[in-house]
Amino acid sequence: MPDEFIYDLGETQDNVSRRGSSRDLSLQPKKNIVLVSHGRPPWYGEDGQRICDAFVIGVAGGSASGKTHVAREIVRNLGSIPTVIILSQDSFYKYHNEEELALAHANMLDFDHPDALDMPLFASCLSDLKACKQSNIPVYSFAEHQRLKETKYLYGATIIIAEGIMALVDPALRALYDLKVFVQCDSDLMLARRIKRDVKERGRDVHGILDQYLRYVKPSYDNFVRPTATHADIIVPGSNNAVAIDLICTHIRSQLQERTNRFRQKMAIPHLYLTTGSGSGASTPPESRLEDLDLTVLPDTPQLKGIFTILRSKETSRQDFIFFVDRLSTILVEFALQLLPYVPKVVVTPVGVEAHGKKLGAQMVCGVSILRSGGALERGFRRVINDVPIGSLLVQSDATSGEPMLLQTMLPVCVRLRNLAQDSWVFLLDAQIGTGAAAFMSIRILLDHGVREDHIVFVTFLVARGGGVSVLRRAFPGVKIVCGAVDEIMKEGWLEGYKGEGNPEGKGRKCWVMQPGMGQIGDRYYL
Amino acid sequence: MADTSPAPPPPPPQPANSGNTNQAHLNPLPTSVYTLPQTAQLEALYTIIRDKETSRGDFLFYSDRIIRLLVEEGLNHLPVVKRTVETPTGATYEGVGFEGKICGVSILRAGEAMEAGLREVCRSVRIGKILIQRDEETTLPKLFYSKFPQDIASRYVLLLDPMLATGGSAMKAVEVLMEHGVPEERIIFINLIASPEGLKTFCTKFPLLKVITGWIDEGLNEKAYIIPGLGDFGERRYCT
Repeated sequence: MPDEFIYDLGETQDNVSRRGSSRDLSLQPKKNIVLVSHGRPPWYGEDGQRICDAFVIGVAGGSASGKTHVAREIVRNLGSIPTVIILSQDSFYKYHNEEELALAHANMLDFDHPDALDMPLFASCLSDLKACKQSNIPVYSFAEHQRLKETKYLYGATIIIAEGIMALVDPALRALYDLKVFVQCDSDLMLARRIKRDVKERGRDVHGILDQYLRYVKPSYDNFVRPTATHADIIVPGSNNAVAIDLICTHIRSQLQERTNRFRQKMAIPHLYLTTGSGSGASTPPESRLEDLDLTVLPDTPQLKGIFTILRSKETSRQDFIFFVDRLSTILVEFALQLLPYVPKVVVTPVGVEAHGKKLGAQMVCGVSILRSGGALERGFRRVINDVPIGSLLVQSDATSGEPMLLQTMLPVCVRLRNLAQDSWVFLLDAQIGTGAAAFMSIRILLDHGVREDHIVFVTFLVARGGGVSVLRRAFPGVKIVCGAVDEIMKEGWLEGYKGEGNPEGKGRKCWVMQPGMGQIGDRYYL
Repeated sequence: MADTSPAPPPPPPQPANSGNTNQAHLNPLPTSVYTLPQTAQLEALYTIIRDKETSRGDFLFYSDRIIRLLVEEGLNHLPVVKRTVETPTGATYEGVGFEGKICGVSILRAGEAMEAGLREVCRSVRIGKILIQRDEETTLPKLFYSKFPQDIASRYVLLLDPMLATGGSAMKAVEVLMEHGVPEERIIFINLIASPEGLKTFCTKFPLLKVITGWIDEGLNEKAYIIPGLGDFGERRYCT
């Protein structure tokens, strides 16, 4: 997700000129500011529960008062914050019936009235995003004057800016904001900006602009927008506002910092496995009686042992490694499928008799691989379940701290939509559970989306008994973990750094490797 | 075969709903018979391939899944030797290595359908062929053709035939293999569905030969088709 960094919503040409945003609302250039190393750090504690909400800022003000400018400046000023979503009220115009549609096309529908907006939907979307859940927000077309069938999927922001003239009108919305900003601007300045922009960008004549202004825009501002300034925490001037924005950003930074500090102490992954923090080396490994871990382990057959011998050997050629990884993942996924529910079914065979059998009782099944090494299980997954979607999560360790970072989220539709996610069964694929950091984050992401904990089946080649799996098990007792074998310990090692963004000197860092393990499975499978 | 039979055969005396255990239709099992774990999931796979409404694409996909499971199970009856390796992390691992050469032998035509599944598990394995045809009137098998690797006598043989009905052609195939010098105990016979009658006859004749079967069905009808079975495997697979 952070590769998209900023969602810019409701950006139709019509919308732009009518509403008062300017074309450069598109925050395209900001994308370059995102560091590759800046993924989303963990947002949950050792117990698997979310630690803090997203920080929500409401920005209101008259049309052409400079709200968008303020929002954009806040984003620019915050610089390195992983994910910011700008949510525009324009997305939440109501669905119109035939009659309203005709009025809208004749420019006779009042869009500057609070009733034009679907406030409950706005509030529920914002509330979901604030609670770190996914949201599928409506898409409104100004060309068709209608809400479209499609929705836009959003997930995983640290900061959300809700922006619009009516942003402070609804009490339900106001209750969600951590910071309320009102952009105050003189009416004559707003009108001047509006005329200038509409003439230039839309080729409209001054008479038409003034007509609309006097009929809708001005009364709306006086009746609904300006009074909401009383709810604001901060009133920002509509021009020359650098100082005010700087103050706001200082406030946001200190708020976020405070949350981070609270959070560090409850870090999901044992301190043992992080280079930063106090716990390294001194703390004892988490207790891990095998029966407590509740793992579903493949039966130890001669063939399985033979396959693992080949995969573990450092002498094994790449060709053999790939072949036997594919074979093992096929066996594993086949084995994991027995954890799904099955219901009776009667069929007629070609011999003409009835056969009483079973069929899969799960409505929706999908896979999600944790990249990179989870991709090594995909071929096996496809051999066994050929017609289901496979999503992916790119989780990488931070180059210096070793902390897991979420870099990309690509989930199947049956997980993205909350009402479907509740019935979906998800196979999470990763090559091994060592520190458990990536597994922990991925499970949290699925839960955020509304997938039931006991509908998650984690499929992996190896689990380290002395590793993070015990923390994982305590936090998520309902998740099913299917593995090929269990290794005993995690050994401290040193990972050579790559020179790159976020790690300019190519510094190495401490890491943890499984013993005996299979080495770097991703490297051996892909490189 | 459905279109050639004038009327559907009479229904069996009792429906096959007596639970999915190996022993439901054959108790006790001969000691040389191994079945796959009778999970609900496996039952669901069989339900798909038994259904006469199942498309050929699905039939291929789901029968391949069962075949892979059967081959994996079959390979577990091959010997292994201790082998210690060093892992990339510098640890040593006490494992095992595969021992002995193997080859597959498929009984044409339906047995060929199992070759793809075999090759997915055993890369570039050699595969011999036997053509044995059942005399439609006497139901007695006749050998028409066979072609084996030259050193077959020194290999373990995975004999492939999806359906064990009367067991006639399978027993004929084993005779041919033994004539080529393969000892009985080095042959592993792999099939998807077996009839209790056929299994009993076969195992009585070759008690040392291991049989891996996915499911034991109710029995045979008067035309020697397995009930409930899945029809003619080769025909459904190749759609001729």
